Amino acid sequence: MSVWPEERVTTAEGDLDTVDMTVNVGPQHPATHGVFRMVLTVDGELVVDCEPYIGYLHRGLEKLSENADYRQAMGWWDRTDYLAGMCCEGAYTMAVEKLAGIEVPERAEYIRVIMMELSRINSHFMFLGAFGADVGSFGTSFVYAWRERERIYDLFEEVAGDRMFPTYFRIGGVTMDLPDNFESRCRWVLSSIRQGLEDFDGLLTGNEVFVERCKDLTPVTPEQAIAWGFTGPMLRATGVPWDIRKAEPYSVYPELDFEIPVGLQGDVFDRFHVRLAECYQSVRIIEQCLEQMPEGRVLAPKLPKTLRINEGEIYMPTEGTKGEYGVYMMARGGTQPYRAKLRSPSFCNLSALKELVVGSYVADAIIILGSLDIVLGEVDK
Amino acid sequence: MSAEAVIGEPEIVALVRERLPDIPFEFSETKTYADLRVAPEHLLALVTGLREDPELSFDLLRNIVAMDMEEDGLEAKYQLYSFRHGHALQLTAPAPIPSCELPSITGLYPAANWHEREAAEMVGLVFTGHPDPRNLLLEEDLRIHPLRKAHPLQKAEILQGIEDGPPGVEV
Repeated sequence: MSVWPEERVTTAEGDLDTVDMTVNVGPQHPATHGVFRMVLTVDGELVVDCEPYIGYLHRGLEKLSENADYRQAMGWWDRTDYLAGMCCEGAYTMAVEKLAGIEVPERAEYIRVIMMELSRINSHFMFLGAFGADVGSFGTSFVYAWRERERIYDLFEEVAGDRMFPTYFRIGGVTMDLPDNFESRCRWVLSSIRQGLEDFDGLLTGNEVFVERCKDLTPVTPEQAIAWGFTGPMLRATGVPWDIRKAEPYSVYPELDFEIPVGLQGDVFDRFHVRLAECYQSVRIIEQCLEQMPEGRVLAPKLPKTLRINEGEIYMPTEGTKGEYGVYMMARGGTQPYRAKLRSPSFCNLSALKELVVGSYVADAIIILGSLDIVLGEVDK
Repeated sequence: MSAEAVIGEPEIVALVRERLPDIPFEFSETKTYADLRVAPEHLLALVTGLREDPELSFDLLRNIVAMDMEEDGLEAKYQLYSFRHGHALQLTAPAPIPSCELPSITGLYPAANWHEREAAEMVGLVFTGHPDPRNLLLEEDLRIHPLRKAHPLQKAEILQGIEDGPPGVEV
């Protein structure tokens, strides 16, 4: 008798009664990429039901933001998508600036875009490394990813003084200007990133085992993706070229030239490949920024010491690393927002997990979860 | 409602008035998108119209924001987007006191499922017809609504007995 599950199922047909088993995965489990728990009901090796549980990292971001100054709250928004803190800072500050009508100097906008794109590369590298480990190249892909991330973090430290949660952005600009040697340092990091991407391309895209496991695994149609609320790489993998940096541009993105990589059929391989291709585009964006960046102020002049916003509400969508990172904010006078709400892309992408994993093997369920690229700080707020 | 365009209204609002003339709503502006305020009994009709009408075809539910407007009761805000036309809207639906009920739109937008569960636990909205009205981010048996304005900031610590605080407001 063969040990392969599909053959065993065929021989057991008819007179053998099987019982479904419940397998608990997480919240402390390396495959769930954070404190995420899912309860799988399995029939042999096949997943027949999946119940996700979230909230283990819920820190009450929204309540805290409503009880703090507009400026004070920014440090917590860093900690939502903690792999790309600068993208979150960008979304939060842009929402407040639009609400208060504050103009940001052009140089600061360029600095922000550089930082946000470096964060995006950083986050995608984390995905590539962890996803490679999920699929089976444990060690190598992680180390490849960490090498580049370490260099990006070093650069962040030189610029902002902190690595993961720099709190570098300010309402009205950025804290301080770039160091003198930033351009040469940044170009060096970019060349290293390019090399790292080539390495990944060779290690994973060129690996037949990897491709065999990922190809045709849970393909998603564009209609399904939109109905489930997918955004970002998850949506683009299905072939929809929708990127908020192009569709509803903010900051200086309209002046920059980049493409939107899309996938063919929305399977796990496409999700991986879209993110890999996006990193190249981010490198392009940063190079353009370095060339086009003007001299001048990095913080708007004559900002009030205490920021008060009278009336108004805003929903500010930005292209986070995982999808549409939107900040809703309502002001009703005073120094604190009346309501601050995060539209977290991981949260929306994760909500369709059950539809994605039911019917696949347990080992594939781990890969599918990995391909969503969730970050629990953002899911749980 | 008349189908005439009101001066100062964005095109999308005029388009909604033209395509869905039977549904009354109030228009207001936010810093990014137009906001349509609709009574809860018309919410489902409006959302269905916005989704199904080929000229509008709002196919993406971006977000649901649950609001506690204190003396004005609870509200839910829906951000919608249309991939075909590239336009976006925000809907506001007040939930009448004391039932705080709104119709669930999970049947129209599967993406609304988790957003509504979050909105329900955070401010205490009740989405009628929701397939799975359990707590999502909070403990399963916790019946508090932390994003109500009356809920003190440190209620969680008080509940856990870590810190002695002033008697919390019962929600």
